[in-house]
Amino acid sequence: MRVFKKWLFVLLIALSQSVMAQVQDVSLHYVGPTEGSAWQGLQQGLDEANIQGEFLGQKYTLHVVSKEELMALDDATAVLLATDEQHILAVAKSEKFANVAVFNLISDSDGLRSACLTNLLSIPASNKMKQDALAQWLDKHPESKAHVQGWHEDFVKFAASQLNSRFQKSHGVVMDDDAWSGWAAVKLLSDTVARTQSTDATVMLNFLKNKIAFDGQKGAGATFRDTGQLRQLVLLVEDNKIVAEAPLRGVKGGLDSLGLKSCK
Amino acid sequence: MKLKQLILSSLVLVSASAWADPTYRLFVTNEKDNSVSVIDSRTGTLETTLKLGDRPRGIGFSPDHKTLYVALSGDNAIGMVDVATLEPLGNLKAGEDPETFAVHPNGNLYLSNEDDAKASVLNPATNEIIEEIRVGLEPEGVAVSPDGSIVLVTSESTNMVHVIDTAAHKVIANILVAARPRGLAFSHDGSRAYVSSEIGNEVAIIDTKTLAITKTVSVDVPRSKPMAIKISPDDKTLYLTTGRAAKVVIMDAITLEIKSTADVGNRVWGAALSRDGSTLYTANGVSNTVSVVDTATSKSVMEIKVGDSPWGLVLDD
Repeated sequence: MRVFKKWLFVLLIALSQSVMAQVQDVSLHYVGPTEGSAWQGLQQGLDEANIQGEFLGQKYTLHVVSKEELMALDDATAVLLATDEQHILAVAKSEKFANVAVFNLISDSDGLRSACLTNLLSIPASNKMKQDALAQWLDKHPESKAHVQGWHEDFVKFAASQLNSRFQKSHGVVMDDDAWSGWAAVKLLSDTVARTQSTDATVMLNFLKNKIAFDGQKGAGATFRDTGQLRQLVLLVEDNKIVAEAPLRGVKGGLDSLGLKSCK
Repeated sequence: MKLKQLILSSLVLVSASAWADPTYRLFVTNEKDNSVSVIDSRTGTLETTLKLGDRPRGIGFSPDHKTLYVALSGDNAIGMVDVATLEPLGNLKAGEDPETFAVHPNGNLYLSNEDDAKASVLNPATNEIIEEIRVGLEPEGVAVSPDGSIVLVTSESTNMVHVIDTAAHKVIANILVAARPRGLAFSHDGSRAYVSSEIGNEVAIIDTKTLAITKTVSVDVPRSKPMAIKISPDDKTLYLTTGRAAKVVIMDAITLEIKSTADVGNRVWGAALSRDGSTLYTANGVSNTVSVVDTATSKSVMEIKVGDSPWGLVLDD
């Protein structure tokens, strides 16, 4: 038994080293600013993806490209965009990326959701989600001056405080909506690679749209609607203080009471 | 043969004398009012409340049950208390933000440092961190195998169970599990380990020989967020706390089929099982109570008021 255990141990060490030796390179392509919140969020997500990669044998790299360079690529694993609605639509509709996950990192445009493109994934809450959340709140608190955010530096629940604190430690600023979206996009991708053990764009897109239950550190395992919108709660904020989470308790439809529910 | 028997019985005597007499005290950490409630488990009455330091969470005994350890997350320390006299015995250093820990049969504490993505090994005899081991983000649950050969640590934001070989203090395997893994437990025979995933709403069984997952099950209980796991002394039954579902889920430890559920207080987190397996105690973080569950009937028979946001608990029986 002892000898067996010893051999097993040696085998495991050998196994883990051989896994480490064949590090899987995961290249992500990004168009957008290389400073500011979304960028810092991407860097945070990348750091965390690479911590997981250390243990599971992946190395994630973010390639910053121009709009032209992006369209000149032969193929891509995933495309991350912090650009405008028109550009995001053009990339998502291009034949080249028809089976590649294209992430909208910062636009709340409802048009990007109602376009119902199968490969376009929108991380931030849409404009309509925010309007619906505010309506739910004002229904109960008509004189409130609150507005809606996707994330807040004081958010504590669901281990949000841990994410806020490690983001602030790394970047010296508080995490905001765009930073959360950048972080979440990379973590969604690293979760997908870890669980599918694949960097095939089609496999990844299928997993993202149909199988993922993502821990965005804001509640239940997050999934995508057929509109490509990431389901999530949003926060009602007044005088920079969180006053409520939407959907409000008791509202019918839960998370799908916010924004365009489905393409069907 | 006679000599063998003699040696055996003297060994039993030695090990028995190393153990303190049970006090039947139940110790509960109250995360938000910086206190530890001390309850007489035989009567369910609150004996006293200890103030040890800031943000107490993880809690456990030394192998001889003479010393109580409490992770003081806000003080970056482990507080110590004499179990028999309830005298505070000072603090041990514990690295940054110690959340919880497990005690090795040799007396060392294996700590998860939540903000620092590492596990630390603390020797309480010398008050020294003898090893730091890099793990994933937000390390949480820690469990030591019954024979002490391996330690498991969950990393909540990296979705893994890290397997640490205690002889080399090296990570020897990383097992990907469902989102936000929290609680860990070993079967008493050491053949299986169990892990709960809060966001993934799953329980998985890990074969401790192959270090592979042999079974996973989704917890079919509304609002379930799986947290702490306890295994009955006969290794046949699994008790799972489920956070906001306000229930303990009782499963067959082999098939993971749900056998029954017991209603307890809200946001149930930590759990402790009596040595005979007859009584399960749960820390109910929102109700600010401890539920006492009779495992024979799966019914809560008592709810005891404790401090603000009870987190974890241990029984000296």
